[in-house]
Amino acid sequence: MAKKTYDLLFKLLLIGDSGVGKTCVLFRFSDDAFNTTFISTIGIDFKIKTVELQGKKIKLQIWDTAGQERFHTITTSYYRGAMGIMLVYDITNAKSFENISKWLRNIDEHANEDVERMLLGNKCDMEDKRVVPKAKGEQIAREHGIRFFETSAKANISIEKAFLTLAEDILRKTPVKEPNSENVDISGGSGVTGWKSKCCS
Amino acid sequence: MEELSESSPALAFEKEAFELTVEDVYDISYVIGRDLLKISTTGEEVSDLQFKIVRVLEMFETLVNKYNLSLEELKMERDNLKSELDRIVRESSAGQEAQTLGPNKLVVDLKDPNRPRFTMQELKEVLQERNQLKAQLLVAQEELQLYKSGMLPQGEQAMVEVDLVSPSPSKPVPDTTDETKEEPNEGMTTIRKLFSFRRK
Repeated sequence: MAKKTYDLLFKLLLIGDSGVGKTCVLFRFSDDAFNTTFISTIGIDFKIKTVELQGKKIKLQIWDTAGQERFHTITTSYYRGAMGIMLVYDITNAKSFENISKWLRNIDEHANEDVERMLLGNKCDMEDKRVVPKAKGEQIAREHGIRFFETSAKANISIEKAFLTLAEDILRKTPVKEPNSENVDISGGSGVTGWKSKCCS
Repeated sequence: MEELSESSPALAFEKEAFELTVEDVYDISYVIGRDLLKISTTGEEVSDLQFKIVRVLEMFETLVNKYNLSLEELKMERDNLKSELDRIVRESSAGQEAQTLGPNKLVVDLKDPNRPRFTMQELKEVLQERNQLKAQLLVAQEELQLYKSGMLPQGEQAMVEVDLVSPSPSKPVPDTTDETKEEPNEGMTTIRKLFSFRRK
Protein backbone atom coordinates (compact mmCIF):
# COMPACT_ATOMS: atom_id res chain seq x y z
CA MET A 1 0.00 0.00 0.00
CA ALA A 2 1.19 3.45 -0.85
CA LYS A 3 2.38 5.74 1.89
CA LYS A 4 0.06 8.46 3.14
CA THR A 5 1.02 11.86 4.38
CA TYR A 6 -1.34 11.45 7.29
CA ASP A 7 -2.60 8.72 9.56
CA LEU A 8 -6.19 9.71 10.03
CA LEU A 9 -8.74 11.92 8.37
CA PHE A 10 -11.30 13.65 10.57
CA LYS A 11 -14.21 15.49 9.12
CA LEU A 12 -15.49 18.40 11.17
CA LEU A 13 -18.41 20.74 10.62
CA LEU A 14 -19.08 24.27 11.79
CA ILE A 15 -22.69 25.33 12.30
CA GLY A 16 -24.52 28.22 13.97
CA ASP A 17 -26.42 31.39 13.15
CA SER A 18 -25.31 33.70 10.37
CA GLY A 19 -22.67 36.19 11.46
CA VAL A 20 -21.49 34.47 14.65
CA GLY A 21 -18.03 34.05 13.15
CA LYS A 22 -17.83 30.45 11.97
CA THR A 23 -15.73 31.35 8.94
CA CYS A 24 -13.47 33.57 11.05
CA VAL A 25 -13.00 30.82 13.63
CA LEU A 26 -11.97 28.46 10.86
CA PHE A 27 -9.79 31.04 9.12
CA ARG A 28 -7.98 31.71 12.40
CA PHE A 29 -7.34 28.01 12.88
CA SER A 30 -6.32 27.18 9.31
CA ASP A 31 -4.45 30.33 8.30
CA ASP A 32 -3.87 32.04 11.66
CA ALA A 33 -5.40 35.21 10.29
CA PHE A 34 -8.43 37.39 10.84
CA ASN A 35 -10.50 39.54 8.52
CA THR A 36 -13.02 42.10 9.77
CA THR A 37 -15.03 42.37 6.56
CA PHE A 38 -18.14 40.25 6.76
CA ILE A 39 -18.65 38.06 3.73
CA SER A 40 -21.56 35.72 4.12
CA THR A 41 -20.60 32.14 3.28
CA ILE A 42 -22.37 30.82 0.21
CA GLY A 43 -23.72 27.39 1.02
CA ILE A 44 -20.70 25.40 2.07
CA ASP A 45 -16.93 25.70 2.01
CA PHE A 46 -14.07 23.80 3.56
CA LYS A 47 -10.49 24.06 4.73
CA ILE A 48 -7.84 21.51 5.44
CA LYS A 49 -5.41 21.52 8.32
CA THR A 50 -3.14 18.73 9.40
CA VAL A 51 -2.36 18.48 13.09
CA GLU A 52 -0.31 16.03 15.11
CA LEU A 53 -1.93 14.40 18.10
CA GLN A 54 -0.40 11.62 20.16
CA GLY A 55 2.13 10.89 17.51
CA LYS A 56 -0.46 10.68 14.77
CA LYS A 57 -0.77 12.97 11.82
CA ILE A 58 -4.42 13.87 11.61
CA LYS A 59 -5.79 15.61 8.61
CA LEU A 60 -8.74 17.77 9.57
CA GLN A 61 -11.17 18.49 6.81
CA ILE A 62 -13.31 21.25 8.24
CA TRP A 63 -16.57 22.14 6.59
CA ASP A 64 -17.79 25.68 7.02
CA THR A 65 -21.53 26.10 6.55
CA ALA A 66 -23.64 29.13 5.73
CA GLY A 67 -25.73 30.11 8.73
CA GLN A 68 -28.47 31.67 6.64
CA GLU A 69 -31.72 29.76 6.56
CA ARG A 70 -31.89 29.85 2.76
CA PHE A 71 -28.92 27.47 2.54
CA HIS A 72 -30.43 25.05 5.03
CA THR A 73 -31.07 22.21 2.56
CA ILE A 74 -27.51 22.40 1.25
CA THR A 75 -25.83 22.59 4.64
CA THR A 76 -27.80 19.84 6.34
CA SER A 77 -26.75 17.36 3.67
CA TYR A 78 -23.21 17.74 4.99
CA TYR A 79 -24.04 16.79 8.59
CA ARG A 80 -24.05 13.07 7.87
CA GLY A 81 -20.36 12.75 7.06
CA ALA A 82 -19.18 14.81 10.02
CA MET A 83 -17.35 13.17 12.90
CA GLY A 84 -17.28 16.32 14.95
CA ILE A 85 -19.57 19.34 14.93
CA MET A 86 -18.80 22.75 16.36
CA LEU A 87 -21.88 24.77 17.20
CA VAL A 88 -20.97 28.43 17.34
CA TYR A 89 -22.90 31.32 18.86
CA ASP A 90 -22.01 34.96 19.38
CA ILE A 91 -21.80 36.17 22.99
CA THR A 92 -22.92 39.63 21.82
CA ASN A 93 -26.01 38.24 20.07
CA ALA A 94 -28.76 36.82 22.28
CA LYS A 95 -30.68 35.40 19.35
CA SER A 96 -27.74 33.29 18.26
CA PHE A 97 -27.66 31.82 21.77
CA GLU A 98 -31.40 31.15 21.84
CA ASN A 99 -31.06 29.29 18.55
CA ILE A 100 -28.66 26.74 20.04
CA SER A 101 -31.50 24.33 20.74
CA LYS A 102 -32.59 24.64 17.12
CA TRP A 103 -29.09 23.78 15.92
CA LEU A 104 -28.85 20.88 18.36
CA ARG A 105 -32.11 19.53 16.95
CA ASN A 106 -30.61 19.80 13.46
CA ILE A 107 -27.67 17.70 14.64
CA ASP A 108 -30.03 15.09 16.07
CA GLU A 109 -31.97 14.97 12.84
CA HIS A 110 -29.19 15.00 10.29
CA ALA A 111 -25.89 13.92 11.83
CA ASN A 112 -24.51 10.55 12.85
CA GLU A 113 -25.60 9.46 16.30
CA ASP A 114 -22.08 9.22 17.67
CA VAL A 115 -20.92 12.59 16.34
CA GLU A 116 -18.76 14.60 18.75
CA ARG A 117 -20.36 17.93 19.56
CA MET A 118 -18.85 21.10 20.94
CA LEU A 119 -20.29 24.50 21.81
CA LEU A 120 -18.35 27.71 21.13
CA GLY A 121 -19.29 31.18 22.40
CA ASN A 122 -17.39 33.34 19.95
CA LYS A 123 -16.39 37.04 20.01
CA CYS A 124 -15.40 36.88 23.69
CA ASP A 125 -13.01 39.76 23.07
CA MET A 126 -16.03 42.08 22.94
CA GLU A 127 -16.69 42.10 26.67
CA ASP A 128 -18.41 45.50 26.53
CA LYS A 129 -21.03 44.16 24.14
CA ARG A 130 -21.58 40.84 25.86
CA VAL A 131 -25.22 39.84 26.37
CA VAL A 132 -24.75 36.11 27.01
CA PRO A 133 -22.99 35.41 30.33
CA LYS A 134 -20.34 32.75 30.22
CA ALA A 135 -22.24 30.79 32.88
CA LYS A 136 -25.25 30.43 30.58
CA GLY A 137 -23.07 28.91 27.89
CA GLU A 138 -21.52 26.55 30.41
CA GLN A 139 -24.94 25.59 31.71
CA ILE A 140 -26.47 24.71 28.35
CA ALA A 141 -23.34 22.75 27.42
CA ARG A 142 -23.55 20.81 30.68
CA GLU A 143 -27.24 20.07 30.08
CA HIS A 144 -26.41 18.50 26.76
CA GLY A 145 -23.23 16.85 27.93
CA ILE A 146 -20.96 18.65 25.49
CA ARG A 147 -17.80 20.66 25.80
CA PHE A 148 -17.81 24.41 25.84
CA PHE A 149 -15.28 27.11 25.06
CA GLU A 150 -15.53 30.83 24.81
CA THR A 151 -13.43 31.86 21.85
CA SER A 152 -12.30 34.87 19.90
CA ALA A 153 -11.18 34.48 16.33
CA LYS A 154 -10.14 38.12 16.35
CA ALA A 155 -8.02 37.97 19.50
CA ASN A 156 -7.03 34.35 18.86
CA ILE A 157 -8.44 33.02 22.11
CA SER A 158 -9.01 29.28 22.55
CA ILE A 159 -9.44 28.65 18.83
CA GLU A 160 -6.68 26.11 18.43
CA LYS A 161 -7.50 24.57 21.79
CA ALA A 162 -11.12 24.04 20.70
CA PHE A 163 -10.20 22.32 17.45
CA LEU A 164 -7.50 20.17 19.03
CA THR A 165 -9.83 19.14 21.85
CA LEU A 166 -12.51 18.13 19.42
CA ALA A 167 -9.97 16.18 17.37
CA GLU A 168 -8.70 14.47 20.53
CA ASP A 169 -12.22 13.50 21.51
CA ILE A 170 -12.74 11.93 18.11
CA LEU A 171 -9.34 10.26 18.24
CA ARG A 172 -10.17 8.76 21.62
CA LYS A 173 -13.07 6.79 20.24
CA THR A 174 -11.45 5.95 16.92
CA PRO A 175 -10.53 2.27 16.85
CA VAL A 176 -6.87 1.71 16.13
CA LYS A 177 -6.64 0.31 12.63
CA GLU A 178 -2.90 -0.23 12.24
CA PRO A 179 -1.46 -2.67 14.76
CA ASN A 180 2.09 -1.97 13.57
CA SER A 181 1.68 1.68 14.43
CA GLU A 182 4.28 2.70 16.97
CA ASN A 183 2.00 4.49 19.36
CA VAL A 184 -1.21 2.86 20.48
CA ASP A 185 -1.74 4.72 23.68
CA ILE A 186 -4.60 7.08 23.00
CA SER A 187 -6.10 7.33 26.42
CA GLY A 188 -3.02 9.10 27.75
CA GLY A 189 -3.90 12.32 29.58
CA SER A 190 -3.34 15.09 27.13
CA GLY A 191 -4.85 17.72 29.38
CA VAL A 192 -8.22 18.01 27.77
CA THR A 193 -10.11 20.49 29.84
CA GLY A 194 -13.35 21.39 28.25
CA TRP A 195 -15.62 23.12 30.72
CA LYS A 196 -12.80 24.38 32.83
CA SER A 197 -11.18 26.27 29.99
CA LYS A 198 -10.68 29.95 30.50
CA CYS A 199 -11.36 32.69 28.05
CA CYS A 200 -10.77 36.38 28.17
CA SER A 201 -10.13 36.44 31.85
CA MET B 1 -62.01 92.13 -47.60
CA GLU B 2 -62.29 94.87 -45.04
CA GLU B 3 -64.26 92.58 -42.72
CA LEU B 4 -61.32 90.22 -42.45
CA SER B 5 -58.91 93.00 -41.55
CA GLU B 6 -61.31 94.14 -38.83
CA SER B 7 -59.97 91.04 -37.03
CA SER B 8 -62.76 89.57 -34.88
CA PRO B 9 -66.20 88.43 -36.24
CA ALA B 10 -65.28 87.35 -39.79
CA LEU B 11 -62.43 85.18 -38.50
CA ALA B 12 -65.01 82.67 -37.27
CA PHE B 13 -65.47 81.59 -40.91
CA GLU B 14 -61.85 80.48 -41.05
CA LYS B 15 -62.17 78.00 -38.22
CA GLU B 16 -62.45 74.23 -38.37
CA ALA B 17 -66.01 73.02 -37.81
CA PHE B 18 -65.14 71.09 -34.64
CA GLU B 19 -63.29 74.03 -33.16
CA LEU B 20 -66.30 76.36 -33.30
CA THR B 21 -67.70 77.78 -30.08
CA VAL B 22 -71.08 79.40 -29.47
CA GLU B 23 -69.35 82.80 -29.65
CA ASP B 24 -68.10 81.93 -33.12
CA VAL B 25 -71.67 81.11 -34.11
CA TYR B 26 -72.72 84.56 -32.85
CA ASP B 27 -69.91 86.15 -34.87
CA ILE B 28 -71.06 84.26 -37.96
CA SER B 29 -74.65 85.37 -37.32
CA TYR B 30 -73.49 88.95 -36.93
CA VAL B 31 -71.60 88.90 -40.21
CA ILE B 32 -74.44 87.21 -42.13
CA GLY B 33 -77.02 89.58 -40.61
CA ARG B 34 -74.95 92.60 -41.56
CA ASP B 35 -74.53 91.33 -45.15
CA LEU B 36 -78.24 90.56 -45.36
CA LEU B 37 -79.04 94.12 -44.31
CA LYS B 38 -77.21 95.38 -47.38
CA ILE B 39 -79.60 93.49 -49.68
CA SER B 40 -82.78 93.48 -47.54
CA THR B 41 -84.27 96.47 -49.29
CA THR B 42 -85.47 94.25 -52.20
CA GLY B 43 -88.58 92.85 -50.45
CA GLU B 44 -90.59 89.74 -49.40
CA GLU B 45 -88.36 86.91 -50.61
CA VAL B 46 -85.26 88.26 -48.95
CA SER B 47 -86.94 88.70 -45.55
CA ASP B 48 -88.32 85.18 -45.83
CA LEU B 49 -84.80 83.89 -46.58
CA GLN B 50 -83.51 86.01 -43.70
CA PHE B 51 -85.92 84.26 -41.36
CA LYS B 52 -84.79 80.85 -42.58
CA ILE B 53 -81.11 81.79 -42.17
CA VAL B 54 -81.77 82.89 -38.59
CA ARG B 55 -83.49 79.59 -37.92
CA VAL B 56 -80.53 77.64 -39.36
CA LEU B 57 -78.10 79.70 -37.32
CA GLU B 58 -80.12 79.00 -34.17
CA MET B 59 -79.97 75.30 -34.92
CA PHE B 60 -76.26 75.69 -35.55
CA GLU B 61 -75.88 77.45 -32.21
CA THR B 62 -77.64 74.58 -30.42
CA LEU B 63 -75.54 71.95 -32.16
CA VAL B 64 -72.24 73.70 -31.44
CA ASN B 65 -73.25 74.25 -27.87
CA LYS B 66 -74.29 70.67 -27.41
CA TYR B 67 -71.14 69.38 -29.09
CA ASN B 68 -68.89 71.46 -26.88
CA LEU B 69 -70.68 70.40 -23.73
CA SER B 70 -70.45 66.72 -24.67
CA LEU B 71 -66.78 67.15 -25.49
CA GLU B 72 -66.20 68.74 -22.11
CA GLU B 73 -68.05 65.95 -20.35
CA LEU B 74 -66.11 63.28 -22.22
CA LYS B 75 -62.82 64.95 -21.36
CA MET B 76 -63.75 65.05 -17.69
CA GLU B 77 -64.86 61.44 -17.80
CA ARG B 78 -61.60 60.46 -19.47
CA ASP B 79 -59.54 62.27 -16.83
CA ASN B 80 -61.51 60.61 -14.06
CA LEU B 81 -60.98 57.18 -15.52
CA LYS B 82 -57.30 57.89 -16.02
CA SER B 83 -56.72 58.85 -12.41
CA GLU B 84 -58.80 55.90 -11.27
CA LEU B 85 -56.62 53.57 -13.36
CA ASP B 86 -53.44 55.09 -11.95
CA ARG B 87 -54.75 54.59 -8.43
CA ILE B 88 -55.60 50.94 -9.04
CA VAL B 89 -52.25 50.20 -10.66
CA ARG B 90 -50.44 51.85 -7.75
CA GLU B 91 -52.44 49.96 -5.15
CA SER B 92 -52.08 46.61 -6.85
CA SER B 93 -48.32 46.90 -7.20
CA ALA B 94 -48.03 47.86 -3.52
CA GLY B 95 -50.27 45.19 -2.14
CA GLN B 96 -49.53 42.52 -4.69
CA GLU B 97 -47.64 40.11 -2.43
CA ALA B 98 -50.42 40.14 0.08
CA GLN B 99 -53.36 40.01 -2.29
CA THR B 100 -52.71 38.09 -5.48
CA LEU B 101 -49.95 35.89 -4.08
CA GLY B 102 -49.91 33.41 -1.25
CA PRO B 103 -48.04 34.10 1.98
CA ASN B 104 -45.02 32.05 0.88
CA LYS B 105 -44.63 33.56 -2.58
CA LEU B 106 -41.95 35.94 -3.69
CA VAL B 107 -42.26 38.66 -6.30
CA VAL B 108 -39.28 38.83 -8.65
CA ASP B 109 -38.47 42.00 -10.53
CA LEU B 110 -37.42 40.80 -13.97
CA LYS B 111 -35.50 44.01 -14.58
CA ASP B 112 -33.34 43.54 -11.49
CA PRO B 113 -29.91 42.27 -12.62
CA ASN B 114 -29.46 40.73 -9.15
CA ARG B 115 -32.73 38.83 -9.15
CA PRO B 116 -32.62 35.19 -8.09
CA ARG B 117 -32.20 33.01 -11.14
CA PHE B 118 -30.74 29.67 -10.15
CA THR B 119 -32.20 26.78 -8.26
CA MET B 120 -30.92 25.33 -5.02
CA GLN B 121 -29.94 22.19 -6.91
CA GLU B 122 -27.84 24.22 -9.34
CA LEU B 123 -26.11 26.01 -6.50
CA LYS B 124 -25.49 22.69 -4.79
CA GLU B 125 -23.84 21.30 -7.89
CA VAL B 126 -21.68 24.36 -8.43
CA LEU B 127 -20.55 24.30 -4.81
CA GLN B 128 -19.74 20.61 -5.00
CA GLU B 129 -17.70 21.14 -8.10
CA ARG B 130 -15.93 24.12 -6.54
CA ASN B 131 -15.08 22.12 -3.44
CA GLN B 132 -13.91 19.19 -5.50
CA LEU B 133 -11.60 21.39 -7.54
CA LYS B 134 -10.34 23.02 -4.38
CA ALA B 135 -9.58 19.61 -2.91
CA GLN B 136 -7.77 18.57 -6.05
CA LEU B 137 -5.73 21.75 -5.98
CA LEU B 138 -4.74 21.06 -2.37
CA VAL B 139 -3.75 17.55 -3.31
CA ALA B 140 -1.70 18.78 -6.25
CA GLN B 141 -0.01 21.45 -4.11
CA GLU B 142 0.85 18.92 -1.47
CA GLU B 143 2.26 16.45 -3.96
CA LEU B 144 4.24 19.20 -5.63
CA GLN B 145 5.64 20.21 -2.26
CA LEU B 146 6.69 16.66 -1.52
CA TYR B 147 8.17 16.29 -4.94
CA LYS B 148 10.14 19.50 -4.68
CA SER B 149 11.50 18.71 -1.26
CA GLY B 150 12.67 15.35 -2.57
CA MET B 151 10.52 13.43 -0.13
CA LEU B 152 9.10 11.33 -2.90
CA PRO B 153 11.38 8.36 -3.33
CA GLN B 154 11.82 6.87 -6.78
CA GLY B 155 9.08 4.52 -7.75
CA GLU B 156 6.98 5.32 -4.73
CA GLN B 157 4.11 7.67 -5.06
CA ALA B 158 2.72 9.76 -2.35
CA MET B 159 -0.94 9.40 -1.79
CA VAL B 160 -2.57 12.49 -0.48
CA GLU B 161 -6.26 12.34 -0.40
CA VAL B 162 -9.12 14.48 0.50
CA ASP B 163 -12.46 12.86 0.69
CA LEU B 164 -14.95 14.97 -1.10
CA VAL B 165 -17.47 12.35 -2.04
CA SER B 166 -20.51 14.52 -2.22
CA PRO B 167 -22.71 13.85 0.74
CA SER B 168 -26.13 12.55 -0.03
CA PRO B 169 -28.65 12.59 2.78
CA SER B 170 -30.46 9.55 1.43
CA LYS B 171 -27.35 7.41 1.47
CA PRO B 172 -25.77 7.34 4.92
CA VAL B 173 -22.04 6.75 4.97
CA PRO B 174 -21.21 3.96 7.39
CA ASP B 175 -17.59 4.70 8.19
CA THR B 176 -16.27 7.92 6.84
CA THR B 177 -12.70 7.34 7.89
CA ASP B 178 -12.21 4.37 5.67
CA GLU B 179 -14.07 5.07 2.53
CA THR B 180 -11.73 7.86 1.52
CA LYS B 181 -8.58 5.84 1.63
CA GLU B 182 -10.01 3.03 -0.38
CA GLU B 183 -11.48 4.93 -3.26
CA PRO B 184 -9.35 7.79 -4.49
CA ASN B 185 -11.20 9.98 -6.93
CA GLU B 186 -10.47 10.62 -10.58
CA GLY B 187 -8.61 13.87 -10.16
CA MET B 188 -5.98 12.37 -7.97
CA THR B 189 -5.25 9.53 -10.31
CA THR B 190 -4.81 12.06 -13.06
CA ILE B 191 -2.37 13.99 -10.98
CA ARG B 192 -0.54 10.83 -10.05
CA LYS B 193 -0.34 9.79 -13.67
CA LEU B 194 1.08 13.14 -14.51
CA PHE B 195 3.75 12.77 -11.89
CA SER B 196 4.75 9.25 -12.79
CA PHE B 197 4.94 10.27 -16.40
CA ARG B 198 7.33 13.07 -15.62
CA ARG B 199 9.48 10.86 -13.51
CA LYS B 200 10.24 8.46 -16.36
